[in-house]
Amino acid sequence: MMLGIVGRRFVVLVAILLLVAALGGSYIGELAIINGRAIVAAFVADFLRYSLALLTVLVIAASVAEDYEFRQFERLLTMPLARWQYIAAQTLVIACLCLMLSLPAALLIGLFTDAATAAYWGAALWMELFLLGVLGLLSILSLEKLPLAVFFALAVYLLAKLSGLMTMIVAESVKMSEGSMTSRAIETIFNGILYFIPGLHTFADNNVFFAAADPLALLAEQGLSVSIYTLFLLAVCLVDFYRKEFNL
Amino acid sequence: MRRGERPIGLLPWPLLAGFVLLLLCQVIYHHAERVRFDASYRPLTEPFSAATYRGLAMGSTGLLAHLLAIRLQLHDNQAGQHFRYSLIDYDLLVDWLEQISGVYPDSEYPTLLASRIYTQTDNPQRLRMMIGFIERRFDDNPQLHWRRLAEASLIAKHKLHDLPLALRLAEKLSAQPASVEMPRWARDFEFLLLSEMNETESAIAIIQALLESGSIKDVDEQRFLREKLSEFQQKLLESQQDKSK
Repeated sequence: MMLGIVGRRFVVLVAILLLVAALGGSYIGELAIINGRAIVAAFVADFLRYSLALLTVLVIAASVAEDYEFRQFERLLTMPLARWQYIAAQTLVIACLCLMLSLPAALLIGLFTDAATAAYWGAALWMELFLLGVLGLLSILSLEKLPLAVFFALAVYLLAKLSGLMTMIVAESVKMSEGSMTSRAIETIFNGILYFIPGLHTFADNNVFFAAADPLALLAEQGLSVSIYTLFLLAVCLVDFYRKEFNL
Repeated sequence: MRRGERPIGLLPWPLLAGFVLLLLCQVIYHHAERVRFDASYRPLTEPFSAATYRGLAMGSTGLLAHLLAIRLQLHDNQAGQHFRYSLIDYDLLVDWLEQISGVYPDSEYPTLLASRIYTQTDNPQRLRMMIGFIERRFDDNPQLHWRRLAEASLIAKHKLHDLPLALRLAEKLSAQPASVEMPRWARDFEFLLLSEMNETESAIAIIQALLESGSIKDVDEQRFLREKLSEFQQKLLESQQDKSK
């Protein structure tokens, strides 16, 4: 399954992303009067975070979409294979893919910052990509269409990232409408949605490049958050996959 | 195998006319844009609030604050031209610096821009605005901004010629509790201000003290200060040679 995902084009694409990140970061670093190296490392880290996040969702969703297109599920289910085993195999694939993506990113960042911070970023990025990969898996299993699944996974990811801003906008709109019923209802619904999306602690903390932080404490906090949310997503995946009917 | 092409004269004339028309539109539009682009200095726009930037940063507040500061630093360079600082609206500038500080309070970049870049003006009111900004940041976090307050104190003495203000700022430095780590000379800054040194001599003294104290960890800032030090030493040498002639 991994060989189907990782081809020459994939490797070239990742190499191009690393090169663009390094060049873009170095350009910005040249403009800075102070903290040049920290700015470069933070820029490279965030550029790679978002580009690799998009790549992870695309790769995972495309691979499962192919299973739908070529009727692999029908074939697999005729074998002595439980449905949960398919989900487990896909989770393993996501874990390996994320490792292959976060390792070169950490090595590149290691050129601009100290080893401990680079190692932190590698581990934190792996967790973030893994979570997003599982979200992509859930999206494609449920929605079955590649564009819809990618859009949904990225929408949830961005909503989680921008939840602070959205909360502020919603609260402001309640204030401006002098507490009208409609805006209060929207606020309640939005606050309800926030319970089902990951919080900011679930993602790698880019501020480590600027201020001294305890990487282990940050990783522990992120690890707990990612574990809970990933298990929740996998449970939804299993429920959805077991409910699906295939024409055998 | 290369596909054959029909002669251009055989194409429908409305298609050709449309093509020529759109080509002309593109050229005219591009020319108008270039003229507009080259025209003049574009003033600073109003910044969003720090809370909005924090929301937009998606967790990377440190990176966004530094990128905004670099964008502000490059504001006087537009379309390949350098514009005078006198063109900048300092009310908006202070607002930008405040918002950037609000996005990531642990950054020294906004106070550095205020003390080293935007004090390159002779307008006393603008200098006071920059000093006021540095003082507010120092009150928030003395440990992070004591060097900028020392610089602001020198600016107050030599550029504003306001010794009471310079001494008041120096007193703020000396009044800091022992928990704020700073070298001895920073706490005794009033003596430096009261000495007979001119602006260049004071700047050389403070830069040398900063470099020797080891309080500057950032290599970019060390390089920046060494460049400034040799620049000031050259200036001092030239002024001494002029005097001896």
